[in-house]
Amino acid sequence: MITLDSDVTRHGDNPEHANQLHSDLNEIWGNPRGLKALTIVNHTTLGLRFMLTGMVFFLIGGMLAMLVRTQLAFPDQDFMSPDIYNQVTTMHGTVMMFLFAIPMLEGLAIYMIPKMIGARDLVCPRLTSLGYWCYLFGGIILTFSLVLEMAPNSGWFMYTPLSSNEYSPGLGSDFWLLGITFVEISALSAGVELTVSILRTRTRGMALHKMPLFAWYILAMALMIVVGFPPLILGSVLLELERAAGMPFFEVAGGGDPILWQHLFWLFGHPEVYIIFLPAAGIVSTLIPVFAGRPMVGYGWVVFAIIVTGFISFGLWVHHMFTVGIPQLAQAFFSAASMLVAVPTAIQVFVWLATLWLGKPKLKLPMLWIVGFLVIFVCGGLTGVMLALVPFNWQVHDTHFVVAHMHYVLVGGMFFPLIGGLYYWLPLFSGRMPSETLGKWGFWLTFIGFNITFLIMHWTGLMGMPRRIYSYETGMGWDIYNLISSVGGFILSAGIAMMLVDIALHFRFGKPAPHNPWNAGTLEWANSLPPSAYNFISLPTVETRHPLWDNPDLPRTMAEGQHGLPVAGHGRREMWGSDPITGKVRETIHLPGNSWWPFFAALALAVVCISLLTSVYLLAGIAVIVSAFFLLRWSWENGAHPKAAPDAEVKPGDPPLHSRTMDGPGLWAMSITMLANGSFFLSYLFGWFYLWTVSPEWRMPDTSPLSLVGLVAAGVALTAGALIAQKGVQRLRQQSDKGLAIGMFGSSALGAIQIAVTVWVLLNANLEVTETTHDAVIMVGLLYVLLHAALGCVLSLLQGLRVGYGYVGAHAPFEPAVVNILWRYNVVTFWIVVGALAVLPRVIGS
Amino acid sequence: MMSTMQRLHLTHPLHFVIGLTLWSGWFVTVYGGHAVACEVIPPDPEKGVFTLINAMLLLVSVAATALLALLTVGCWRIAKRHEGRLRFNARLSAGLYLFSALGVAFAALPVLGIPPCL
Repeated sequence: MITLDSDVTRHGDNPEHANQLHSDLNEIWGNPRGLKALTIVNHTTLGLRFMLTGMVFFLIGGMLAMLVRTQLAFPDQDFMSPDIYNQVTTMHGTVMMFLFAIPMLEGLAIYMIPKMIGARDLVCPRLTSLGYWCYLFGGIILTFSLVLEMAPNSGWFMYTPLSSNEYSPGLGSDFWLLGITFVEISALSAGVELTVSILRTRTRGMALHKMPLFAWYILAMALMIVVGFPPLILGSVLLELERAAGMPFFEVAGGGDPILWQHLFWLFGHPEVYIIFLPAAGIVSTLIPVFAGRPMVGYGWVVFAIIVTGFISFGLWVHHMFTVGIPQLAQAFFSAASMLVAVPTAIQVFVWLATLWLGKPKLKLPMLWIVGFLVIFVCGGLTGVMLALVPFNWQVHDTHFVVAHMHYVLVGGMFFPLIGGLYYWLPLFSGRMPSETLGKWGFWLTFIGFNITFLIMHWTGLMGMPRRIYSYETGMGWDIYNLISSVGGFILSAGIAMMLVDIALHFRFGKPAPHNPWNAGTLEWANSLPPSAYNFISLPTVETRHPLWDNPDLPRTMAEGQHGLPVAGHGRREMWGSDPITGKVRETIHLPGNSWWPFFAALALAVVCISLLTSVYLLAGIAVIVSAFFLLRWSWENGAHPKAAPDAEVKPGDPPLHSRTMDGPGLWAMSITMLANGSFFLSYLFGWFYLWTVSPEWRMPDTSPLSLVGLVAAGVALTAGALIAQKGVQRLRQQSDKGLAIGMFGSSALGAIQIAVTVWVLLNANLEVTETTHDAVIMVGLLYVLLHAALGCVLSLLQGLRVGYGYVGAHAPFEPAVVNILWRYNVVTFWIVVGALAVLPRVIGS
Repeated sequence: MMSTMQRLHLTHPLHFVIGLTLWSGWFVTVYGGHAVACEVIPPDPEKGVFTLINAMLLLVSVAATALLALLTVGCWRIAKRHEGRLRFNARLSAGLYLFSALGVAFAALPVLGIPPCL
């Protein structure tokens, strides 16, 4: 038991006391070893795990790319069979996009954000852990399909009907749909907690307009993940239901439409490009001021560009579909929007150039990669504007020109800044400096190899070479260009290998890094090298954008415990909860410690995934229940639970614990989760109205099969349950928990009535879900509201029980407010479902 | 009520996203409305751009541009009355409203020259 006295901590300028604080904080925050390392929830460790796993998948994806280039090096090659080639190209794109790019950048954000904003961890550490395990297990399942020679082979965007049962009868598409959905749990987890962490856990005084630019970029990325990923999750669920249960969402004969898949995929897919680009641009905006030796020119302009990019990138998805037969006017809208997105990108480029122009740039190794980025990305951006023009887009559609453009944007826009960032932060990871010589060799080989590979590919594309072809005949005029591209690919690989060798060797042979080796201005360099598990002994007040430039002594005073929360005696993991706008401290956030539950929950979800793949549905059902149990058990250890914060005591003058307020970050986490949920729901509504309007064989019965009376009765029960939950929260705001438990049980009972009545409506509708798309879509809508009703019901029941145990009440009023958000969401979505599925068809008719 | 009014004040960061949310709403309205209109009341192709659909799309676009321009001016004026954080917020919001207004105007230009359902 730690017995550190709080008075002692206030005199941390004595080195002995500082050492004592370090050892006490380490006891609370430190990582266990051995098997218990699976329980670690710390952001530093998990961020590194994300990045290391991402690099492994990058190597797999890179090797697949080399196989592709080997196959295409000469005409009429039979190095691979056509089916294997299709698997290799599909998996190359899938692995690079879903298992490398996003998780790698998320890993970097998970590692960096708390250190940059002066926090000790992310706000939902167990969610970080769940996200990592889902990513790892999902990635292994998906990649294992290659070993089985059963990998998906319909292209990384899985267009229907090519990916449907008729043309892809094997398990390949199922591996993709289930594996990617599993991995997306990870992305969404990170999206939610990065958003809340940036908004609610910045250190004292760090107002929104003083936040590091990297945090702005990650905030935009995280919110884009939250809104952008659900459409693909919906599409994957629908396609898997079509493949496994025969529900014809994308089959024209049943009333479906394969183009719906393209809409859902690209609603995700285009923002995805910017989800990858923005954090990389964040790295650029972090490094350029450091190596230019001056603050960024136009901080406000960069924030402007980030916000504009975040929004406009959602209005471009149809430019991937210009050739599917959309009216010219609609194409023109998307063409214009596609050109608009170049404006914020150009603003950033000019701001970066201006900063370099006005500063005194030093061409150190990280900066070399940033210069490489500027050259390649500007070229990729310009071909992007060319592709936004409809006639040119038609001309080069599905050719190697598009492949070249995509790689210029993604490799130039993401990979080069990423490597620059890794080199820059390497001293933080390892405490050692990289080798400039080996690193420069790696850069130049990569830069030259990349341009030889992909610059040439623009020409093969303009000469008409289609993408994804297995082979080509000699005499098409493509031979020499493909050979050059392949040679370039191997030079590129050699460069990457050299860079990886450099990084690997530096852990052993690199020179020990001095403190703040690049003379940076941001807080992450106030950490020890490498950082401790708790980041900072004390949390500073920060009111400038470059705290270390303005106060170079800050790392020392922080390490001596001269700032906020230098307390360990209570045994809790603590950090500030601050106002999202002003950065004023509002509460003390207490974080959970290491836990098995995220690992167990992810393991159970992996069993669900494998059971569905192998069609063992009984096992899948059991595993769903088991994973739900693990997740609920995890939620049990919150609030005033003995493993959370049974003792609400804080140091005099410090704000109260968040679980003792009505405004903890959990409210924000729930709201952001509902934002993701709302995006899923809106995508569903889009699908319903799209099919109703556009699908050529859409069949809607003359009268709706759904009982309106039954649905209204279910809605009344749900609304009554929500009102009771709301009343309980209002009373808690007045510090009264009178009748709270009864109210929670009452809400739960009303939720149960809603479920029973909705099930009755469903059974009486006699839906023919395998015959018509109309009935299949209705089934999905009703299952959606049923699932949410069940969740509301169970959570309220648990809240009632927690009131009984004393974990929740007037003394710890936080959790019912969180559950109340779900109830409100359920009410809104239920009545919209009733309106869309049962009322509108009656009003408008078929 | 008080907190809602505070959030609506033009120096609140909520305005960072309102303009572009309006842009998104406009975009979905014209794209979706155009698709539905072409299914339900496709005009005679010989009418060219002089159709009810083009007129409605133009009307919605002009209204959206006007609203966003108004908010731009409001934020710009408010920004002059403040310093520091509030000024930063209002100026950034003004820029974002202006971009949104120009974005609507630019993306709506094809309505003037392209028949709706071809």
